[in-house]
Amino acid sequence: MIEVNNLKKTYKEVTALNGLTFNANDGEITGLLGPNGAGKTTCLRSLYGLIKPDSGSVEIDGLSPAVKPLEVRRNIGIFPDKFGLYERLTAREHIRFIAELHGFRGDAMKEQVERVIAELNMSDIADRRTQGFSQGQRMKVALAQAIVHQPKNLILDEPSRGLDVMSTRILRELMYGLREQGRCILFSSHVMQEVAALCDRVVIMVKGQVVANDSPAALCELTGKESFEDAFVQLIGTDEGIMA
Amino acid sequence: MSGTLLTIWFKELKDAIRDRRSLMAAMSYALFGPMLMAVAFFAVVQEATSEKDLTVQLEGQEYAPELVLFLQQKGILASKESEQESGIKLVIPEDYQERLATAKAVSIIVRADYSERKNSSNRQRVERALTEYNQVVASARLMMRGISPEVMYAVVSERQDTATKESRAALIMGTVMVFVLMSVFFAGMNVAIDTSAGERERNSLEFLLAQPVRLIDLVTGKALAAGTFAMLGSVLTLIMIPIVFLFVPLEKLGIDISFGIGKQAMLALVLIPLALLASALQLFVSFMAKSFKEAQTYITFVMFAPMTIVMVLEFTRFSHVALEYLPVTSQHQVLLGSINGEPVSFIAMVIGALSTFAVAGILLFGVQWKLRSEKAVFGL
Repeated sequence: MIEVNNLKKTYKEVTALNGLTFNANDGEITGLLGPNGAGKTTCLRSLYGLIKPDSGSVEIDGLSPAVKPLEVRRNIGIFPDKFGLYERLTAREHIRFIAELHGFRGDAMKEQVERVIAELNMSDIADRRTQGFSQGQRMKVALAQAIVHQPKNLILDEPSRGLDVMSTRILRELMYGLREQGRCILFSSHVMQEVAALCDRVVIMVKGQVVANDSPAALCELTGKESFEDAFVQLIGTDEGIMA
Repeated sequence: MSGTLLTIWFKELKDAIRDRRSLMAAMSYALFGPMLMAVAFFAVVQEATSEKDLTVQLEGQEYAPELVLFLQQKGILASKESEQESGIKLVIPEDYQERLATAKAVSIIVRADYSERKNSSNRQRVERALTEYNQVVASARLMMRGISPEVMYAVVSERQDTATKESRAALIMGTVMVFVLMSVFFAGMNVAIDTSAGERERNSLEFLLAQPVRLIDLVTGKALAAGTFAMLGSVLTLIMIPIVFLFVPLEKLGIDISFGIGKQAMLALVLIPLALLASALQLFVSFMAKSFKEAQTYITFVMFAPMTIVMVLEFTRFSHVALEYLPVTSQHQVLLGSINGEPVSFIAMVIGALSTFAVAGILLFGVQWKLRSEKAVFGL
């Protein structure tokens, strides 16, 4: 359960977040949709406490990342905007490292690592050094790192960029599976089709503010448009910065 | 020590050991230093132990055959046509025998370019030989007149060399010890850069900082990994020193180097706090940089500071009590003390170690403080 309340953040002259308010519920996939520069990444970074908002509050399962960053981070899995891999370590070592940082040791740690490797169908690359991995393979490693500790909340920043069809399918099934388990999934994207297909609920943000917050179907109904794309364009008031 | 700290330490070590560049850097400093010194000493030993014959141009040698013979015994030879000259010319006057017989002073001209520095030791050698010959002849004259030659010496300076074999060795080993300190600062450098600026360059910093890890654990783990490499370098250097000096005939200079395993182990222990300090300093600097290259540039500048201190102390032989307690200089004093037979007291060693740890701690605290700033992390 992620609650964002009246979040504001300004960098020098740019206002990234301007009173952002929304909820992401457990057992739902929430999509954060907005054109480039809408403040999506800033919003997600303030969820895991790397950016301190000027005002407003964030609560994840009732805990504020500004006050208890470590407790909050234990309960979330992160797939960041930029993820780099240590090219001299194998995929399995990457996953182990994160599992250990989350406090898993010994057999419990191995069990978690094996589970996530099986879940993401990556046993063929698990013991290879990540140097020379394809974008899809790198993505899988990053995803495995995000979910190895079975977080209650999952935060993904544009997870599908650069993925081929098979990897996108794996990602989608993973997200559905996690939803079944009653976890809270929040992901950002600027690709509408993906959001429309995946999400139970869409939060559309423009210039640091929420302009709509409902299910994709409801948003089409609201604007009276047939396709979600047209609804989106109408809601944000411009077609600038949209990538189909 | 928390488990997280160990996790980070081991992960960084694993990463660094697989990095050939880091490993090579650590090893090469350890090998190059002592080898370089060995070559230099070899040259010094050769130079100091063999005095070559000196050839001078001798004019009028037929007038003074005894003098020429005396000079020959002192290794000063008359040049032949073909030989290369030393630029020194001795002119013996025609009336040499006559003046000698009547006990008048004979002036022998030593002609040379006295502004030429390189030749000054040769000129002194020639003049010294002439003075000696003068004393031999004068003493003989006095004795013939029934006077003890001793009346000519009112005050005589007597040289007493207090240099022991150890202290003479210390002079040379002091230079070697500078290499040991250098290896501490350089061996871990690559690892320190890779775990900080490298982390940012490969875009893995954000994800790492978003993990449930206390920042102080994170930076300490990284400093320990780099420090381990610094120690690896310095231990290798310490091991190399006695091996390299097996091949240099230092005993010809009256130098005795005893550098047993016990001493090596003790010095390695003393260097541990310094290794942590060096790594903390390198992390502090390179976390400011955006890329590996930028960090390398900064670090090269920053590394000048401790090296300059050590070099200045080494060559000026400046000493002060405080030096035994301060970071870097404390370790330098212990290294020097261990070889010149004036060991630093145990308490001073402990205080020096503690002060070094303290400065390293402050630096690490500074690093984690910087990582709290979103500006520093995201480069906004």
